[in-house]
Amino acid sequence: MNPIFVLFKKGVLLFTRNKAAVIITFLVPIILIALFGFVFGLYKNVDSGPGGIPLAIVNLSTEPAATDLIAALKLEKSFRIIAETKNADGSMRPLTEADVRAAIHNNHYRFALILPADLVSDDALGIHLKFLSDPRNEIETQMVNGLLQKTIFSRVPQLLGQSLQHHSKKFLGDARFETFNRTIADTVAANYGGDREEIYQRLISGDFGFGSLTSSSKTTTASTAKPGDEKAAGAADIFSRIARIETEQVVGKQVSNPMAARLVGGYAIMFLLFALSGSASSLFEEKRSGIYQRILSAPVRLSHILWSRFLFGLALGTVQVSALFLAGNILFGLDLFSHAIPLLAVILSAAAACTAFGMLLAAVSTTPEMANGLATLLVLLMSAIGGAWFPVSMMPEFIQHFSKLTIVYWSVEGFASVLWAGQSLMEILPTVGILTGIAAGVMALAVWCFKRSAMFD
Amino acid sequence: MLTLRSVTKRYSTLTALDGVSLDIAPGEFFGLLGPNGAGKSTLMSLAAGLRSPDSGEVLLADGALSKANLTARHTLGLVPQTIALYTDLTAEQNLRIFGQLYGLGGRDLQTRIDEALESVQLADRRHSVVQTFSGGMQRRLNLVASLLHRPKLLLCDEPTVGIDPQSRNAIFDFLEKRNREGLTIIYSTHYMEEAERLCSRIGIIDHGKILALGSLDELLTQLPFEDEIVFPETPVTATFSAQLSAHGQLDTVDGRHRFRPRPGYPLSVFFATAEQSGIATRLFEIQRPSLEAVFLHLTGRKLRD
Ligand SMILES: Nc1ncnc2c1ncn2[C@@H]1O[C@H](COP(=O)(O)OP(=O)(O)OP(=O)(O)O)[C@@H](O)[C@H]1O
Ligand SMILES: [Mg+2]
Repeated sequence: MNPIFVLFKKGVLLFTRNKAAVIITFLVPIILIALFGFVFGLYKNVDSGPGGIPLAIVNLSTEPAATDLIAALKLEKSFRIIAETKNADGSMRPLTEADVRAAIHNNHYRFALILPADLVSDDALGIHLKFLSDPRNEIETQMVNGLLQKTIFSRVPQLLGQSLQHHSKKFLGDARFETFNRTIADTVAANYGGDREEIYQRLISGDFGFGSLTSSSKTTTASTAKPGDEKAAGAADIFSRIARIETEQVVGKQVSNPMAARLVGGYAIMFLLFALSGSASSLFEEKRSGIYQRILSAPVRLSHILWSRFLFGLALGTVQVSALFLAGNILFGLDLFSHAIPLLAVILSAAAACTAFGMLLAAVSTTPEMANGLATLLVLLMSAIGGAWFPVSMMPEFIQHFSKLTIVYWSVEGFASVLWAGQSLMEILPTVGILTGIAAGVMALAVWCFKRSAMFD
Repeated sequence: MLTLRSVTKRYSTLTALDGVSLDIAPGEFFGLLGPNGAGKSTLMSLAAGLRSPDSGEVLLADGALSKANLTARHTLGLVPQTIALYTDLTAEQNLRIFGQLYGLGGRDLQTRIDEALESVQLADRRHSVVQTFSGGMQRRLNLVASLLHRPKLLLCDEPTVGIDPQSRNAIFDFLEKRNREGLTIIYSTHYMEEAERLCSRIGIIDHGKILALGSLDELLTQLPFEDEIVFPETPVTATFSAQLSAHGQLDTVDGRHRFRPRPGYPLSVFFATAEQSGIATRLFEIQRPSLEAVFLHLTGRKLRD
C-alpha cells in the first residue's frame, strides 16, 4: 500500500476516534448555522405560507411578454402569485397599483411586481419593471429580489428578445429591419464597445444577453450599472444594462443583505478553515511524540506525509462543507441538488485552498500555540473581509480590494454564484480556477517552508 | 553493518557530534553510553538516515545512507527515545499502520502483529488505546513497533527511560533474545548498569566525542586502580586516613573517604592497619571498578548528577 494512503487512513482513523474533533467539525457549525437562520429569518416556511412567499402582480402591459413573465413567475415554487382582488360585490378583478400599495402598507403581503404599460417602451430598448417592497424581513426581501431576477433573466430573456425582434420586423418591414438592427448594433458598439457583427448577430437571434445578468450576482438591479464606464467590457455586459427594474421600497429604508447561500457558504468556509488549521496543529503533536522520526526512518518520504495530510484535509473539508450545505438544504430549503456538480467543484476547490492554508500555517509556525494564534487571527480576519458574515459590498471600497485576496471571498462568491445565481459548471470555472490556483500556490509555499522548518527534523 | 567515518554534525553553532568514527559488526550488541546532551540521539538519527552529516559519512551495510534511498530503510529499525506512537489508537492499530508503511499487509502482517504483541506480553491489551497503557507497556510497544519489518539493525535510543524494573527486565530479555537470533543492536543509555549487562562492546560518548571504545573489560583496564574502598570521615578515621596517602590515592568527598590502593598494596595490610586504629571493619565498602568510575576517570564528571 502506498504510504500516502496508509497515512491518509491513519488521519481518518485518528479523526473519527476523536469525538471532540468530530463534534466541533460537524455538529457545532450546523447548530450555529441553524441559530443564525433564526436570527436572519432564513427558515423557508417562516412567514411565507404554504404556497411560498406572496407576490402581488399588477399587469398594466399588453405585451405578450408580460403574460409569459407572469406564467414563469407562477412556476417559481417559492412564490405565491396574487394577481386579483375581490370587488365589493364579491366578483374578482385584476389588482391595481393602488391596491398593492395599500395592501403592502397594511402588511397583507410585502412584495409586489408591477409590469407597467411601458414594459417595452418605444423610446427605449429593453423592459421596465417596478418592484414594490416592505423589507420588514431583510433577508426575505433580498431573497425575493434574487428570485425575481432569476426568473426574469433566466426564464424569459429569449422570449423577450424574440418578441422584441418580432415586433420590430412587423413594424419596420424586412429591409428596414436589417438597417434598424445594424444601426442599433453600431450604436451599441460605439457607445459601449464590443464587436458590431457579433452584436448584430445576437440582436437578430433575439439574444439580448439577459442571461448574463443572472451571473453577476452583485448587480441587484440592472439600473444601478453606470453605462459609459468600462467601455472595454464585453458585449454581454452591455446588453445586461438594457433591462431596467425600478425598485421602490414602500416601507422602510434601503437594505442589502446576504442570502441563505451566502450565509451557509460563508460560515461553512470559516468553520472549515478552523477545522483544518486545527488539524494542521496536530502536526506539532506528532512531531513532539517523535512519530515523524519513526515514520521517516521507514521507507517514507516527507512528500508522502505532506500529501497524505493534504488529501485528508481535502476529504475532511469536502465532507464538512457538504454536511453544512445539507443542513442548509434541510433547514432553509437551499436547493443543492439541481446544482450538484458545479457546487461540488466549488466545494472541492475551496477545501483544497483551505487545506493548503492550514498547512502553510503549520509550516511557518514554530509552536502549536503560534499556529493556533495565527489561525484564529487570520481565519476571523479573512472571514470578516472575505464576506462570510456580511456581503463584501457593504464594506468600504479599500477593504473590498483586500477581500479578493482571501479564500473566503472566492469560496463565498462561488457558492453564491452556483446556489443563488444558478451558474453552470462552465460558468463557475473561473472561480474554481482561482481557488485551485490559490490552493496550488499556497501548498507549494507550505512545502517550501516545511522543508526549511524544524517540523520534520 | 554500520560504519561512521569522521562524522560531524552541527546544530547551527553547537557541535553535537565531533568527528565520530565507529564500526559496528553484524550481530553486535553495541552500547552507546553517555550523559544528557552527549550526542546519542543525534548519532542515532544519522544512523537511521533522518539527518545527513555535515562532514564524514555514514555507511549502512557498505552502502551510503541517504534520504533518497528508501530501500535501505528496510534494513534498519529505529526505536525513538520518545513514545513514538499514536496514543489515541489501539496497540494493534498502531502496529498495523507502522507495518503497512513498510509495505506489509494481509495475513503476513497480522501474524507479525500477533507475534510482536505476544513477545512483549501485550497480546491481551491489543485492543486498548495506547494512552491507557502504563509507561512500561508503552515502552514495550514502542520497541516492537520498530521490529515488524524484521530489520537487521535495531537502533534503540534509551528504550527504558522512566519504567519499572519489571518492564525493564522484560525489555532486556527481549533484546538479548533477538540479539542471539542475529539482530545487530545499537543501544544508547545513560545507565551504566544497562551497558554493563547488555552490551558486548561499549562506546563512551560525551560532548559529541567517543572517549573510549571497547568491551567492558577493556574499558575497565583503562582505570589506574583495581578496587576502591569507601569509608566515612570521622574523628576516629583521621589519623588512619593520613597514613593511607602513602599507599595510594585518597579523596575525601562529602564526608566520605575514597581510597584507591596503588597496585600491589595488599588489602590484608589495609585491614590490619584499620584494626590497629580501632576502626570497625563493617564501615568499609569495597567497590569493584565500574563504568561509572571509567567515565569519572575520563571526564572528571559523574555520568549522572
Ligand atoms: N534539533 C536540535 N536543534 C538544536 N540542537 C539540538 C537538536 N537536537 C539536539 N541538539 C543539541 O545537541 C546536543 C546533543 O543532543 P542529543 O539529543 O543528541 O543528546 P543525547 O545524548 O541524546 O541526550 P539525552 O540523553 O538527553 O537524550 C545537545 O546539546 C542538544 O541540546
Ligand atoms: Mg537522546
